[in-house]
Amino acid sequence: MTHHPLTVQELTETLIDASARGEKGLVFKLDSLNRVLEHNPADMTVTVETGITLAALQERLAQSAQWLPIDPTPLLASTISDILNLNSSGPHRFGYGTIREHLLGLTVVLADGRLIHNGGKVVKNVAGYDLCKLFVGSRNSLGVMVEATFKVRPLPEAQQIVSASFDSLSRSALVLEAIHASELTPVVLDLHNPDRGPLPDGGRSDDYWVVLGFEGAREDVAWQLNKAAELGLTTATTLDYEAAFWTKLEASPVHCLSTLPSRMTEALEGLGASEFVARAGNGVIYYRGGKAAAAPEWPKTLTTRVKEAYDSRNVFPALLNAE
Amino acid sequence: MLAAKTKSLTLNSIRDLRAIVGHENLICDDNELLVYECDAYTLEKRLPGVVVLPQTTDQVVAVVKLCAKNQLPIIPRGAGTSLSGTVLAVDGGVMIALTRMTKILEVDYRNRRALVEAGCVNAWVTNAVKARGLLFAPDPSSQLACTIGGNVGTNSGGPHTLKYGVTTNHILGLEMVLPDGELLWLGVRPDGGEDVDGYDLRGAVIGSEGMFGIVTRVLLRLIRAPQAFKTMLCIFESVEDASQTVSDIIAAGIVPGALEMMDQLITQAVEAAYHFGFPLDAGAVLIVELDGLAAGLDRQVERVIALCNQNRTRGVRVAKNDQERADLWKCRKRAFGAIGRLSPNFLTQDGVVPRSKLPEIMQFIRACSEKYGLRIPNVFHAGDGNIHPLILYDEREPDQIRRALAAGHDILMKCIELGGSVTGEHGIGTEKIDFMEKQFTKDDLDAMRALRGVFDPEGRCNPHKMFPGSKRCADFAPRKQIAA
Repeated sequence: MTHHPLTVQELTETLIDASARGEKGLVFKLDSLNRVLEHNPADMTVTVETGITLAALQERLAQSAQWLPIDPTPLLASTISDILNLNSSGPHRFGYGTIREHLLGLTVVLADGRLIHNGGKVVKNVAGYDLCKLFVGSRNSLGVMVEATFKVRPLPEAQQIVSASFDSLSRSALVLEAIHASELTPVVLDLHNPDRGPLPDGGRSDDYWVVLGFEGAREDVAWQLNKAAELGLTTATTLDYEAAFWTKLEASPVHCLSTLPSRMTEALEGLGASEFVARAGNGVIYYRGGKAAAAPEWPKTLTTRVKEAYDSRNVFPALLNAE
Repeated sequence: MLAAKTKSLTLNSIRDLRAIVGHENLICDDNELLVYECDAYTLEKRLPGVVVLPQTTDQVVAVVKLCAKNQLPIIPRGAGTSLSGTVLAVDGGVMIALTRMTKILEVDYRNRRALVEAGCVNAWVTNAVKARGLLFAPDPSSQLACTIGGNVGTNSGGPHTLKYGVTTNHILGLEMVLPDGELLWLGVRPDGGEDVDGYDLRGAVIGSEGMFGIVTRVLLRLIRAPQAFKTMLCIFESVEDASQTVSDIIAAGIVPGALEMMDQLITQAVEAAYHFGFPLDAGAVLIVELDGLAAGLDRQVERVIALCNQNRTRGVRVAKNDQERADLWKCRKRAFGAIGRLSPNFLTQDGVVPRSKLPEIMQFIRACSEKYGLRIPNVFHAGDGNIHPLILYDEREPDQIRRALAAGHDILMKCIELGGSVTGEHGIGTEKIDFMEKQFTKDDLDAMRALRGVFDPEGRCNPHKMFPGSKRCADFAPRKQIAA
């Protein structure tokens, strides 16, 4: 059952009551807990209530020429809470990693209503175990993350995205290898194959787009654009393809495959996907149609013990079927 | 709460351990054990019952299973460079030193990964891959000696964490022997993709100070070495001016690869030891290293110089070549080693404050130095707000030990008060146990203990660390004096 508490206290009370009644699988949506609690630009850190949307947080940080360098599509996870629970990411993952790498501290309401803190508000901190890592990506199964502190970065002085299309996977693969071997330091390195529907002759259009994003000092970006042009990437573009891919909510479900970047092309050839967006630098492929994703696997004993240690009465959803 | 239910070592156990690792890989002679009586935190010492130096993961599994059967404490150890008593054998037990499992097993240049044994020395990794333009980013000052397994245990940092992050940001996966002897791989597999299902157990293990099991292999993320560096030595009249410059550089949106400060006392000691050409009368020097693509660096250098000028710099010297850059870093990373010229002993702390509080904590450290009548040079990761005051004392003078501990205590309490942490990279170990209750609530600590219970339900792996109420070495009196 999903609750929308207005305060942390209400959340805690709901949790204790529901738990006493033996309810299970509780999920909390924190849309009302959406304040920026602390942002000192000189410290390059920010503390928020996790119900805040990423968009609202970025807007606030931009006033100080800073940002949290992640860009998962809001269609899947729009609030910091959702992003933390799914450890979701977007095209900038290649340059900056997922939200895990930027998280410094958490406040969590545990299953029995206790409020705990882990980590802190400074950029380096090894006092105690790193429970933050355990909660990131835990899919609402261990506790409710209500506040989070992140390290942020300065907004880049310049940014440019360029692309080129190729008529076969093997050609796009050659370019990806050339990019890899070059001195380029892109923050976005994607490959996507939009589904444009059947062609008049009954076949499918095959166009594979390699996308590169550069960010940094003006001279730095200009130098990289020149290098990219030498590799044939000249079309200025945007990252709209990402949203376009996830927007098709009526389409068949999206699967995900994670492989070594060097094996990505081979994996794509074997998938038979009708369309895909791939983080080519990370080897992560999101696709529709084709082979279904493999069932998740994890160390069973430890995973069970983690759940028992933090939520033995299953007040929160199980890891597998949690949202 | 977990209390270690352990037994003491018997001759039979030693015989069985010797059968597993071989005669030449077991130490039980008291004289030879002395090497293992402490790490680089030397105020508390205790001999382990026995040290085994396994050569394979299979041997580690067999040793751990034997210890599980006989309820013996196990203490994983790398090179013993920890500064907080993390590998102290508080209750004796079986120390498992990984220093004979040192191989780089595999480097995957295309996917920028390296698989190494836990005893592999940190610096060896970058040395092995730099010809191909890659590096392993975490670079603690002890990197010529410290092991990757030790880095995993303490989630080590180093000067370049400012831009590149700490150990946890660069470990993809690890092989681990749980205290019951089960062998597991956690996180990204050497031939697998970087998205891993389920809980981030690899992340939970990193920084757990060897209390969850024995890490035997580690899959490292390698990064592209920067195309160019601009390494600057910026000279200031005062620590305040240098601290302000640090804040101004960060506030200007510049993210240097490293941003380090050395005050006058340490600069003098380093100069006497290594003859780099540091000015002896400067209040403080900053090492600012910008890195990245060559194209954008010159203008960034100008911006940094302008900020230095704004804070009355006496001069900025840009390293002319790789050799000069290497020399400068050698001085910085060996700064602790130069302290021998100033004092027979030192106690170092590694508290953290928000970057904007740097001027305040530096002032406080100076006041502590005066209050306790001890010299406190500083050499630290200024860009991260991670201080390293080196409190100088002479262990032959009990009162100096007492004052050094009291000064360290005051400085760490101030870090907490300023919204920081008592440790940025050295860990809690045995040294900072008392601070855990100051920085965290009982519930916070219980949530951590719950995680320990997941990996080590018997509390037998590296016992008596991190948590208040842990047993202390009986002969460690000075701390009780301060508490009194």
